[in-house]
Amino acid sequence: MDLHYCDIAERAERCLDPAAALEFVSDPGFGGVAMFIGRVRDLNQGRKVDGIRYDIYPPLALARFQEIAEQAQHDCGPQLKLYIAHAHGRLAIGELAVVIAAGSPHRDEAFRACRQVIEAVKYSAPIWKQEHYVDGDSEWSEGRSLCEDAQASAVSASAHD
Amino acid sequence: MNIELELYGSLRNLEPGDRLHLPVTGAQVADLRAALVAHAEARWPRVSPLLLQRCAFATRTAVLRDHQALPPDGHMVILPPVSGG
Repeated sequence: MDLHYCDIAERAERCLDPAAALEFVSDPGFGGVAMFIGRVRDLNQGRKVDGIRYDIYPPLALARFQEIAEQAQHDCGPQLKLYIAHAHGRLAIGELAVVIAAGSPHRDEAFRACRQVIEAVKYSAPIWKQEHYVDGDSEWSEGRSLCEDAQASAVSASAHD
Repeated sequence: MNIELELYGSLRNLEPGDRLHLPVTGAQVADLRAALVAHAEARWPRVSPLLLQRCAFATRTAVLRDHQALPPDGHMVILPPVSGG
């Protein structure tokens, strides 16, 4: 039985599907399911946002999702089932950017795994967010460096977390 | 050796096809970084040196640190600071 599902959804072809995530992490022996859904906000640092574009390096992102899932399983429990999916491409306000779901026998493992996974996806997967503003301007989020050598001098992550 | 570098995030569109072919003197990722900094100083005036220091380099499956060897196939990706979710 596969305990992890990792996916990158090309927005031009399909949307993220929370119902599929719930179905994947469900099990007759599971009493706890936690889900995190990240959606596109209409405001970033006081500026009105028209939409977001996500750039992703898929081979490495999927490899990283798998590592993140394995780490969460190690930390939160061997029975855990995890669903990790991120959108790729241009998204409008309110659209789903990321869906994380965790199922387990009890709620504590599910909550902890869900939180651990979304934090790891945000800060360690090769994904980049470009804000598109209603005034026509656009800007890449400052982000978190994946280079350990630069961490000491890294500027803190963008306010649009 | 010659490295083919794929560009992502804020570095996309800086080169045709989002790819840069860069001759590198040396065999470590640090040598690639030095070659990229020199290229950027000459060709990418709007890219800050601080951003390049915060970028990581990777193959299809792993992020490589500055002391590690460049891959034999010469294909790498540059990863600016990430901002998923």
